[in-house]
Amino acid sequence: MNRKLGLRRCVGRLWHHFFFHKMVEPSNPAPTAPVSPPVSSTPEQATLATENPPQTLPIRDSKPTQPTGDAPASTDGATDKPLTAAELKKKAKADKAARRIRQKLEREGNTTGSTAPTPSVGAQPRQPNTPKKDAAGTGSAQKGPRAPPPRRGSGPVAQTGSVLVEQKKKKDDKKVAVFGHLYGQQRRVTVGGATKEVHPAILALGMQLVDYTICGSSARCVATLLAFKRVIESYTTPMGTSLARHLTTHLSSQITYLSTCRPLSISQGNAIRALKLFIAGIDPSTPEASAKISLCEYIDSFIREKITVADQVIADSAAQKVQDGDVIVTFAGSSIVKHTLLLAHNQGKRFRVSIIDSRPLFEGKSLARDLANSGLDVQYSLVHSITHAVKDATKVFLGAHAMTSNGGLYSRVGTALVAISPTASPSTASSSTRLPMPTSSYPWTPPVSLAVPTPDTHAPPAPENKKGGNRTPAPESPVIPHKTSSSPLADWHNTPNLQLLNIMYDVTPAEYVDMVITEMGSLPPSAVPIVHRMVTNL
Amino acid sequence: MASTTSDTAVADTKPFDIVATYNELLRSDADLTMPIAAIEALVLLLTHSASSTISETLDLLEKSTAHLKRSIPNPIGLSAGTDLFQRYLITTLQRPGQLGPAGDFKAIRTHLLSNGRLFIRRAKESRDKIAAFGRGFIRDGSTILTNGGSRAVAALLQKAADEEGGPSAVRFRVIYVLSSTSQESKHPNEEPEGMETVRALRAKGVPVSTIPESAVAYSLGKADMVIVGAEGVVENGGIVSRMGTYQIGLLAKAIGKPFYVVAESHKFVRLYPLGQYDLPIEQQVVEFKSEEDLAEERKQQSSVADTNGDTPIKLPLCDSVDFTPPHLISALITDSGVLTPSAVSEELIKIWF
Repeated sequence: MNRKLGLRRCVGRLWHHFFFHKMVEPSNPAPTAPVSPPVSSTPEQATLATENPPQTLPIRDSKPTQPTGDAPASTDGATDKPLTAAELKKKAKADKAARRIRQKLEREGNTTGSTAPTPSVGAQPRQPNTPKKDAAGTGSAQKGPRAPPPRRGSGPVAQTGSVLVEQKKKKDDKKVAVFGHLYGQQRRVTVGGATKEVHPAILALGMQLVDYTICGSSARCVATLLAFKRVIESYTTPMGTSLARHLTTHLSSQITYLSTCRPLSISQGNAIRALKLFIAGIDPSTPEASAKISLCEYIDSFIREKITVADQVIADSAAQKVQDGDVIVTFAGSSIVKHTLLLAHNQGKRFRVSIIDSRPLFEGKSLARDLANSGLDVQYSLVHSITHAVKDATKVFLGAHAMTSNGGLYSRVGTALVAISPTASPSTASSSTRLPMPTSSYPWTPPVSLAVPTPDTHAPPAPENKKGGNRTPAPESPVIPHKTSSSPLADWHNTPNLQLLNIMYDVTPAEYVDMVITEMGSLPPSAVPIVHRMVTNL
Repeated sequence: MASTTSDTAVADTKPFDIVATYNELLRSDADLTMPIAAIEALVLLLTHSASSTISETLDLLEKSTAHLKRSIPNPIGLSAGTDLFQRYLITTLQRPGQLGPAGDFKAIRTHLLSNGRLFIRRAKESRDKIAAFGRGFIRDGSTILTNGGSRAVAALLQKAADEEGGPSAVRFRVIYVLSSTSQESKHPNEEPEGMETVRALRAKGVPVSTIPESAVAYSLGKADMVIVGAEGVVENGGIVSRMGTYQIGLLAKAIGKPFYVVAESHKFVRLYPLGQYDLPIEQQVVEFKSEEDLAEERKQQSSVADTNGDTPIKLPLCDSVDFTPPHLISALITDSGVLTPSAVSEELIKIWF
């Protein structure tokens, strides 16, 4: 009951979020490709406006009549009459600005992704309302009652109207503004332009990361460490410096390259931190050869202790939780969940596995194949049929990318959905993870948010096109277009009103996680910070 | 090497029966909890055995623990004790210094044994500590609902009654839930668990009302809080306790009364049940039978005269337990302080790492 309420509240707040930013349309049929259909979304926004009066009210204290007069206006989408004189005056500038933009956009058949007037493109009659509502949403703190309606960079656009800025906008407008913080820097798609210090092994690894050949937090971590080992093996300390001082900077340039290929995973970050700490601890008087040997040994032992053995320990204790007759639900493809299930199967336990899979990477396919080949009873379904898949689930096993310090489970997008679903039935969600490593500098979002703003959360929409196969790198864009014309997204860059958002991770709130299986034992999610403290102190 | 040590271990345990010792200890001392009895049995085992190396000692300990756990129908409580003792042994042996691996084993052994006894004495004292911590929860005019035969709860309530300064000053009341399952068991004349406490409290002038389990929901409205004991406190902060505790917890949550658990910290078990049916014991609680099955059972009972083979021992209904999940528990009153359920895992991690 509580959970249901919580979910509803959470959804409600998300809606609220969308409403105020007006960028992602709630009624959108395709969640990853928010094409804005302004007309269909209008009534929903209006109902939201009436549903959430407490949120809209405080901002408009100077004009008490507005919230109610506002909603119907946008509902029928045909009037800008119910506005008071004060409001009209306040919006004079905005109207002008928005109109100018609209004309330009209509001319070019394009949408401005990061500016407020976007939704007005398709629905001209209700346009005057749009900026006002937007001001209500964003201007609460900094703008005050006389806020100019268009938010962020749109002001200068409207005022100058210069072609230059307009072009810049065109480039930006493929980003969904609500999630603008997720895009980060542009992804690298070729080895071109890499600095000469970057080792060939790292160059190759970078490309493997770019096209998801190496995917999954532990695989990425191991691959990175092994590549670093090769870097260290071929490293010679330049004259006049010591290994302990120079190698760190040398590695840093490799890391910079890697992070432009794909933002570093938390596991990679932790491994790098440990390695750098070890390098810094090397006595400068140590001969280079022996220092390199000890470094390579350190890397090997790191992989062995923190990943290989930890995996075994986790799989061991997780397999104990599998009982005869269980129906185990899992999401996408986690290597550790695979180990667990195979181990339980080898122990002679009789159970069924239901794999739920989804975009963007369809990692569950290979998991399903591997498990089925090993003789397990596997059911594979996509996330839209989750209610059926979860109906007779007894346990949910989820792999974790990382655990956040408030016990949240940070994992492949869709995990939260799976974790939340079984609450209707008395089943349990448990996640197995190694190295629960929350970072203190983690940018927290409110717990309702299912998408946490970390740099890696958004991936270029390339994998969506994966089935087309024939991919060619395009240096200028973060997206790898493919040549098969069958895909509706083939030419998405030039499709008007189309923005793509391809979120890679989400966070499951701690209350939906019953147990965290780590190499330190099984823990409630509330114990994650304790373990983190212990691991970092060791 | 390993095989020879195990052989000697088995040979050594034969004269010393750990299961019998454990049962005897529990029977002889009514104040003894299961984990403490297990530790005491293990200490006795070590004094009886003539092990002379560390690995031999650990091996013997492991084997006897496994044997003990197999032979007792509900090993949750005692496993807390055996795990704790084993952990204590290992950490002592690993510690560098005179008592470390390099030291004289004889000295290590005597140290272990004396410390083991010290541990037992401390554990027995922990009930007083709990009573001191928990006394503040029982206020003037409050009514406390409790169940089962927990000695910690009894100690707490009696302490509260004493503290008030004699019968005239007693100002709390107790609703005691008496289990009906124990009456249905083999000894119908045996009084239900907890009657002893009821008598003791009444003697101290505390008004006590005894109700059957079916009347809990009805009576909860008159209670201010629920205080229960526990057989084991598991890693997520939930408790394994006498059958019926879970439903009291659910009802208390529904009605909005605080639900406190009184447990010694040596009852913390490294166990993580995900639900009622995830406990490592076999319980005959929900059993579906048709008339046919019953007839067959009767026939079997008359023909086979109790041949207890190697099959896992099933727990009789009167001794069955249930699992109360942590979200139903307001706080745990332990000898290391009043803890929230989420703090249990921290305490456990502290003990184990």
